[in-house]
Amino acid sequence: MTFVRTPRFPGPGRRLPFRRRLTCAIVFTLGWFITATPARGQGHEVGPPPEAADQYPLLRISGFGDIDFAAQKRAEGTRGFSEGQFVLHLASALSPRTNVFSELSFTPRADAGTGNPPATGFNTEVERLIIRFDRSDQLKVSFGRYHTPINWWNTAYHHGQWLQTTITRPEMVQFGGRFIPVHFVGALVEGTMATNGLHIGYQGGVGNGRGAVISRGGDAGDNNDRPAWLANVYTRPDKLFALEVGGSVYFDRVSTTGRPEFDERILAGHAVWQREDPEVIAEVAQVHHWQVGGTLETSNVAYYVQAAYRLPSSARLWKPYYRFEHIGIDTADPVFAGVPRLDGSTFGVRFDISLYAAIKTEGRLRQRESGEPRANGWFTQVAFTF
Amino acid sequence: MPARVTAWMVSVAIALATIGSVRGVAQARVDVAIAVHPDVPVDNLTLADVRRIVLGDREFWPGSVRVTLLMRAPVAHERDVILKTVCQMTEAQFRQHWIAKVFRADTAVAPKIVYSADTSVDLANRTPGAIAFVDAPVASRAMKILRVDGKLPGEAGYPLRDR
Repeated sequence: MTFVRTPRFPGPGRRLPFRRRLTCAIVFTLGWFITATPARGQGHEVGPPPEAADQYPLLRISGFGDIDFAAQKRAEGTRGFSEGQFVLHLASALSPRTNVFSELSFTPRADAGTGNPPATGFNTEVERLIIRFDRSDQLKVSFGRYHTPINWWNTAYHHGQWLQTTITRPEMVQFGGRFIPVHFVGALVEGTMATNGLHIGYQGGVGNGRGAVISRGGDAGDNNDRPAWLANVYTRPDKLFALEVGGSVYFDRVSTTGRPEFDERILAGHAVWQREDPEVIAEVAQVHHWQVGGTLETSNVAYYVQAAYRLPSSARLWKPYYRFEHIGIDTADPVFAGVPRLDGSTFGVRFDISLYAAIKTEGRLRQRESGEPRANGWFTQVAFTF
Repeated sequence: MPARVTAWMVSVAIALATIGSVRGVAQARVDVAIAVHPDVPVDNLTLADVRRIVLGDREFWPGSVRVTLLMRAPVAHERDVILKTVCQMTEAQFRQHWIAKVFRADTAVAPKIVYSADTSVDLANRTPGAIAFVDAPVASRAMKILRVDGKLPGEAGYPLRDR
């Protein structure tokens, strides 16, 4: 048996391969975080009060669940009663500067079991698993599996149906959808700065990007030699503290079996007014694809605008809402072949039955192709956190 | 019932109501002071800074000391004032905000709930980086009170009071 020994470092004058440089940078950053001296000039070690020094790890578990009822065409999805996702969220402070977050989901499926026809059951998924090292408000470094932070909704509500006003997510960020990469496995640097009352936040990340099945992240490793990059900047002005405006950019190379590779660039923007009187959420994303070594170039745009208003005084438990959304797919784009177009309206009302439970009911009017009949449906959901 | 007794009962009722309303007004006018651990390297916060701390958007003091946020339990006067004047939120909105905050992985630690002003002062004294909100008369016994927008409790224009 012959072993070929690969030199770990190149000779003088030669550059390290990209992945090795990236690894070095991550290791250096992590080492700097761990060894950084906190609280310069404070005269005491930063940490919990003396009597609580053994309080770590400080685990906090919360859960989300929902029960749904749908009346729609079979082709558009499930009908009748269904159990929504059962979601467990675990957050644990390991030290004053180190936190772990995870989100587990249990999703009912008609084909989870074996046999013919397949038995129903549940799919279990680690939706998020993040370890984060906090140096300051301006600088936090984390590693793990995220909901890709290039879309506001994707990182504001995650799988917590109770948190969002409506029953459904916008289709452009639908779980299992392909328009936006919902998950991202890698490393993230983030922070916020209070600059002239603007309160600017940023996130920068590198990771595996889309997997061979493009609705999935590269959980078990990258499927090509090009990492995905993302950057995102937002502001929450002090004088309009309910307002958040931001933009994101995402680069990746999409490699799928049996198809040419495509470079992908996503530009996204959002404007959100987070008060409930009114609540306004607007997002837009453009996904551009270039064939690697070819001439094919395609562009796809999706956006939505949602408005809601919590009624005043004695009717404050009621919150009517409306959302319009659009997904435009370039027919020449092989990466998005089969991704349905959409022009749709969602209207409904949310009733907060208690502090931690809500009943929502909504109608959806959806048109996939111009000239085709609309697919309408009516939906009701009981969503809660515990 | 004799007219004299009735008149006496009405007088007592009016007196009690007056005392209650005066007491209510007096209580409503109590400023809420910001008490912090003595080592917190800050003497003044803007109202926006206070909002960022209470909503968990600011987690560190200068010098990278982590903020430990102590909040009174619901119904306490201090909590009402902070939610109304600083956060401009209802109790339900504030709770939803913090559930979402932890769920978003913005922070792993929610505010610590304290059930009395004395406990607030005591914990603020002993916990590095702690910040607590206490009625000004209670805070006078505390060690370090921060100015808000350059003003101390009791001064004209101090923002943390009932409106």
